[in-house]
Amino acid sequence: MEAPPVSVMPVTGGTINMMEYLLQGSVLDQALESLLHRLRGLCDNMEPELFADHELVYLLKGQQGNPFLLRARRSLSHPTAPWHLRYLGQPEVGDKSRHALVRNCVDVAASHSLPDFLNEMGFRMDHEFVAKGHIFRRGALKVVVSKLSRVLVPGNTDNTEPLSLSSLVELSVLAPAGQDTMSEEMRSFAEQLKPLVHLEKIDPKRHM
Amino acid sequence: MGVTCVCQLPLAEGKSVQQTIDLLHKKLEQLGAVKQGSFTVDCETYHATGNASGQPTKLLYVMHNSETPLSCIALFEGGPCLTADGNFDVLMIKLKSHFQNAKGHKVESRGSRYRYCDFLIKVGAVTMSSSARGISVEVEYCPCVVPGDCWNLMKEFMQSFLGPSIPELPSVFSSKPEGLYAPVDCVDTMTQYLEMFSKVRKQQVLPGTTR
Amino acid sequence: MSGVGPAVRVSIESTCEKQVQEVSLDGMETYVPPLSMSQNLAKLAQRIDFGQGSDSDEEGVEAEPRDPQEWGKTEAEEDEATVKFQPSLWPWDSVRNNLRSSLTEMCVLYDVLSVVKEKKYMALDPVSQDPSAGKTPQVFQLISKKKSLATAAQLLLKGAEKLSKSVAENQENRRQRDFNSELLRLRSQWKLRKVGDKILGDLSYRSAGSLFPHPGTFEVIKNTDINLDKKLPEDYCPLNVQIPSDLEGSAYIKVSIQKQAPDIGDLGTVNLFRRQPKAKAGTQPWHVKLEAAQNVLLCKEIFAQLSREAVQIKSQIPHIVVKNQIISQPFPGLQLSISLCHSTGEKKNQRASPEKPKPDDHLYVLEHNLHQLMREFHKQTLSSIVMPHPASAPFGHKRQRMAGPMAYDKAEISSLQQNEGLLEKIIKQAKHIFLRSRTARTIDSLASRIEDPQIQAHWSNINDVYESSVKVLITSQGYEQICKSIQLQLNIGVEQIRVVHRDGRVISLSHQEQELQDFLLSQMSQHQVHAVQQLAKVMGWHVLSFSNHVGLGSVESIGNASAITVASSNGEYAISVRNGPESGCKVLVQFPRSQSKELPKSDVIQDGKWNHLRGPYKEVHWSKMEGRNFVYKMELLMAALTPCL
Repeated sequence: MEAPPVSVMPVTGGTINMMEYLLQGSVLDQALESLLHRLRGLCDNMEPELFADHELVYLLKGQQGNPFLLRARRSLSHPTAPWHLRYLGQPEVGDKSRHALVRNCVDVAASHSLPDFLNEMGFRMDHEFVAKGHIFRRGALKVVVSKLSRVLVPGNTDNTEPLSLSSLVELSVLAPAGQDTMSEEMRSFAEQLKPLVHLEKIDPKRHM
Repeated sequence: MGVTCVCQLPLAEGKSVQQTIDLLHKKLEQLGAVKQGSFTVDCETYHATGNASGQPTKLLYVMHNSETPLSCIALFEGGPCLTADGNFDVLMIKLKSHFQNAKGHKVESRGSRYRYCDFLIKVGAVTMSSSARGISVEVEYCPCVVPGDCWNLMKEFMQSFLGPSIPELPSVFSSKPEGLYAPVDCVDTMTQYLEMFSKVRKQQVLPGTTR
Repeated sequence: MSGVGPAVRVSIESTCEKQVQEVSLDGMETYVPPLSMSQNLAKLAQRIDFGQGSDSDEEGVEAEPRDPQEWGKTEAEEDEATVKFQPSLWPWDSVRNNLRSSLTEMCVLYDVLSVVKEKKYMALDPVSQDPSAGKTPQVFQLISKKKSLATAAQLLLKGAEKLSKSVAENQENRRQRDFNSELLRLRSQWKLRKVGDKILGDLSYRSAGSLFPHPGTFEVIKNTDINLDKKLPEDYCPLNVQIPSDLEGSAYIKVSIQKQAPDIGDLGTVNLFRRQPKAKAGTQPWHVKLEAAQNVLLCKEIFAQLSREAVQIKSQIPHIVVKNQIISQPFPGLQLSISLCHSTGEKKNQRASPEKPKPDDHLYVLEHNLHQLMREFHKQTLSSIVMPHPASAPFGHKRQRMAGPMAYDKAEISSLQQNEGLLEKIIKQAKHIFLRSRTARTIDSLASRIEDPQIQAHWSNINDVYESSVKVLITSQGYEQICKSIQLQLNIGVEQIRVVHRDGRVISLSHQEQELQDFLLSQMSQHQVHAVQQLAKVMGWHVLSFSNHVGLGSVESIGNASAITVASSNGEYAISVRNGPESGCKVLVQFPRSQSKELPKSDVIQDGKWNHLRGPYKEVHWSKMEGRNFVYKMELLMAALTPCL
């Protein structure tokens, strides 16, 4: 009852300009076990955690310009966990010597009413998929090895079909803008995963 | 987080906003309430720019409450609402080509926070573009989350310092499909503030004038 | 043949190839076993007449040097021989014969030469010649001899070198193997990694959740500086570790309480662990070394954490951090000091001896708890790092991530953040320990000072670090069964002592010793009055009045006096007791009116019925009463006043 007089002002502005540094690669299912083994050795000594997520990609089409894309993700294994709404900016052109893809990133934790709310805002779901796999951590580095499945019946995450015979491997770091030492650290980590998986800087635009 | 009731307090006869607030503070202190810091509730208004289908544009409100300092609540009037963390504000900046912030429409209520046993009382001056527009009173009964269980108690408590002008049961509670016995959450509070803010926004009363 | 019906079988048996050695009496033939290849060759060789061959050979070789005269001589001899053979042929017969035989010999020689030339069947080996026969000069011989000896020696030397090399290699291999197996053992207990050509290990607690920035790396070194020839020393280990210089030696955290006033005795309990790390049998020297270094690291981390908190935390009396000591004042007049003692190797041995006679004022329990708290803290940081779900979300505290979307209010958020520091916890524990021992001392000193009533304390064995309890019973000797009125439960906390009465009343006492003492004294004085009440019931007396807090009479400095009045069963006598914690007890006896002589006979109350009116009070000289304690004396008094039936 005797709480000290708190005068926390509401947060406006959120966290400072955050950047995502990303390297991607893929590994065939046959080689997955050995990759996981290697990762277990390299990463912080915690048991690798399994995850199962459902991602919905929303588009907001304006009158002009590119549609605005937002990714909404929820955990299937932790149904009470908040939804994760993510905005990813265009990859920075930057200098070519940088080893990782760098893009602006806004992470919002949101309540479960997110899909309804996005709809109300005018967003429309473009596609959805289920990602299942392992998540590792080494310091600030995050390694996500995920198997992507397509959702056959919209909204039904039980009825899925694998997209390919391989898994997606993503190495990412969240850091404030301008911390290019991160990409160096990522490169040396990616180096240690060779030849199991070759993590590269992949520009999503080229594959669109 | 308990059951809350937000209402607008009419100005006292011949008094300005600040004077009325001071009067209320005095009453509360006489009652035995203890001042515990301050509070802020603010509300930003956004409207969608690119509306292809030509429907009337819905307004999107983004609100913050110092009581839940890490949260950001976005709602449509009468529509769905979203509780998110502070990064939602950053997202709204990214979305500025689609949702424009109506800067002039920012409403805010700032004031002191009083505690009287299990009740939290927040008396704030409502300002819109830096002009005082009215007084907000929020009463929260912390131990209970079911409005039906504590409304009468709250009403009685409010009578003790608001006098005859006590508010009706907030419509957020009565209009719920589950009825009065559904547990409340922070959105109910914010909806009440939003309703009060839109009322304040519409009325063109200048501070200091009587009603 | 095919047309002529069945073929006639003709058995063809080879003649016995094997020679029959003997035929036994039963007709069994024993064969000579067939000759093996080599035997066969030997047999064939036997048949060769080497004399002939060698002759012809000799002739072939020696033919050239012969003089023509000699040739002629032989021819002449040959001639003679042929003549002897066929005497009566023509005259040139012997010449012809000689020529013929020489032709034959020439042919044989030719054949032999051609065979030798083929090198397939035969090889010519030089026949060792008689040294004397050699015409080589002596110097030459000497030189060649020397040369051959030198080559032989060289060969031998080479062999020896090879041998010794292989022996060394073997040993080296074995050592390498030892090193590798040692390394494997090290690897199974410590974190190692290879950086360049070095092997680095990690002895920090980072993997256990520590946030201490010390790198805590050690280097694994191959122990090579030993002489191969000498016998290996007993404790030789092929693997050595090099730890950072600041982690060498041994360290410990010392927690002690200094009292400005020597009001309490020893707070420390039994020495839990002697600091000198004793190497257990069978542990590797590197293991001992690493464990010691790890302990130093942990102590440093604890101290760093404590001093950081000491600076950050605001308290009424600020904590003082001086060099390797943190001083705090939990209670007035009491000083808690936590210090980091780090000594490196040799220095310690020198210093240890003069230090010994000093009294041990360690609070081992707190030192142990500090270590435990640190580990708990590690565990907390480790468990708070949970993987985000969904996986795309950033790392962070799970509950902090929930705070936004779940709209946690300020209280909930502060409960997330609120994490009592190590220092606060340890100060609280120290306060509790201090309060507990002071309570024990207070009770004990009261018990020894006051014999009547008796005070007993039953301490519970199982305590919390912040709370322990003691049950205090106040009884009278010999009357334990009937005088059970005062049973107190003392819950000793961090700042205060809560006393729970048997009837449920709760009294809070501060940490001041006097408060507890006064309280117990007043309880003891009340006990006596309660005891009289209990005794009266047993003795059949009636309680006329009873009061725990008498409002009359002299004012007590501690608590209130209590009083009771009891009347004998027939109502003739009454005993009044007033007992104050300070003023002591006062016992008065009221006699029946009829028995008192001093009372003047009143004119008004002459009727016999007035005899039942109560008479005057007389004080009993209590100290002169017989009996070992108050209740016994009271019993005697009551018995004396009870009329015999």
